[in-house]
Amino acid sequence: MRDVYVAGIGITSFTRLEYPLAEIAAFPAMLAMKDSGLTDIEQVYVANMGAARVNHQTALASAVVDSLSLTPAGAASIENGPASGSAAIKEGFLAVASGMHDIVLVTGAERMREVNNLEATDFIATLTHPLAEYIYGVTLPSHAAMFTRLYMEKYGVTERHLAMVAVKNQNNAMLNEFAHLHQPITIEGILDSPEAMTNNPYVAEPLRFFDACPVSDGGAAVILVSEKVAKSIDRPLVRIAGVGQATDTHAVHERENPTDLLAVRRAAELSFGMAGLTPSDVDVAELHDAFTILEIAESEEVGFFAKGEGHIALEKGETALDGRLPINPSGGLKGKGHPVGATGVGQAHEIVHQLRGEAGARQVADARVGFTCNFGGFGNNVICLTFVREN
Amino acid sequence: MAREIYAYECTECGTLHYPFKMRCRNCGELEPFKFKTVPLPKRGKLLTFTKVYNLPAAYEVATLGIAIVELENGVRVTGQLEVDDPTIGMDLLGDVGVVREEPYNRYWGFIFRAA
Ligand SMILES: [Zn+2]
Repeated sequence: MRDVYVAGIGITSFTRLEYPLAEIAAFPAMLAMKDSGLTDIEQVYVANMGAARVNHQTALASAVVDSLSLTPAGAASIENGPASGSAAIKEGFLAVASGMHDIVLVTGAERMREVNNLEATDFIATLTHPLAEYIYGVTLPSHAAMFTRLYMEKYGVTERHLAMVAVKNQNNAMLNEFAHLHQPITIEGILDSPEAMTNNPYVAEPLRFFDACPVSDGGAAVILVSEKVAKSIDRPLVRIAGVGQATDTHAVHERENPTDLLAVRRAAELSFGMAGLTPSDVDVAELHDAFTILEIAESEEVGFFAKGEGHIALEKGETALDGRLPINPSGGLKGKGHPVGATGVGQAHEIVHQLRGEAGARQVADARVGFTCNFGGFGNNVICLTFVREN
Repeated sequence: MAREIYAYECTECGTLHYPFKMRCRNCGELEPFKFKTVPLPKRGKLLTFTKVYNLPAAYEVATLGIAIVELENGVRVTGQLEVDDPTIGMDLLGDVGVVREEPYNRYWGFIFRAA
């Protein structure tokens, strides 16, 4: 396999966007081309989950490649639930690593605020098992809530720990101009004060409103290139050193130990294994915190902390922006937003930004190794990427 | 008329599956549809649960209980929960009822109550 580098990055604000889905995918792609100075794109991958269902549009990649005037480049859409973004990066990685292409554009986009919150929740719920889960009214918040309850019982995680994740990530998002939520919150305001129950009601017990990410529109893009192309342009060299993907049972109830996220564990092991690195080498990470509990659980499963101790590291401030291992400096899905198909690409965007030293007020000092975890389904399709700054 | 929900027993090795799979997760038999249906027991223990407030459009109720239950034969299922003050490990009795109604469709599934 050939080495694969990220030559350019681009992102839209994660918010409500009033322009068509194909343009939400094309806009960050333009920024990434400008960033890299590369326009001779050979292949385009477009990550998205809801075009057909939410936006009544199919074959999105064909629309995007045309909008970018990149025809006759190859183009394909990648739908892999909330892990679509990283799945598309994996395809782009393979296309370059194999030697088939030298310059590949990966862009992810979602436009889901076109529909109301209940419809958006239902759209995401269609990734659950149709006969054994979906028919009961099971949603992603329900899965996360049932998982949280077991985590509380077994490991002593409390609502306070969950609130600490929300506060940390929303405060990080304050430093990110592209983030969806620019609303500083405090433990007092969402948990301790007399108004807390009104400000922060339960959505699925024991999860509250501030434990869930917002519903966002948005897009993010990366340009992946071979070593020869990477060294011909005047950009810092960031290499994708590890790619790991793993799956787990579709119906969550079939998992032998319901507090394990085995696909996260395996995807991380594969990613670190390919990179020849270990979790202790990581300087900065973006973990898929669609719900606050997921940041805690993933931080354990990827190997940053022992199982059951993620909330203790959080309590000690180890995952804070100025901590030993900052997690979700961008604000994460919780603060930055979660336009599902774009999310994995957005995570890569933040890590490349950090490794280049371009993250401004939220820059993690001396970051050389970065890591992302993009969590599809309720942990049934997970992709972890390891990035290394080379010069 | 009582409706049943079935587990799928591999005719090669006896492993029970719920929901249906094309291929046995234990023996990996490649001949398709080598399963026989076995009615699932109704008694079980509550493994975990939630009370959901933000429901998809099909539900015209304020909240909905959702649970994962381990049935007597060790098979786990997801279902609706109608218990006021549930606790993990409590004994439950399942019933098969309408769990989702759409304009032209009704779906039957497990509804669990305290045993
Ligand atoms: Zn078998």
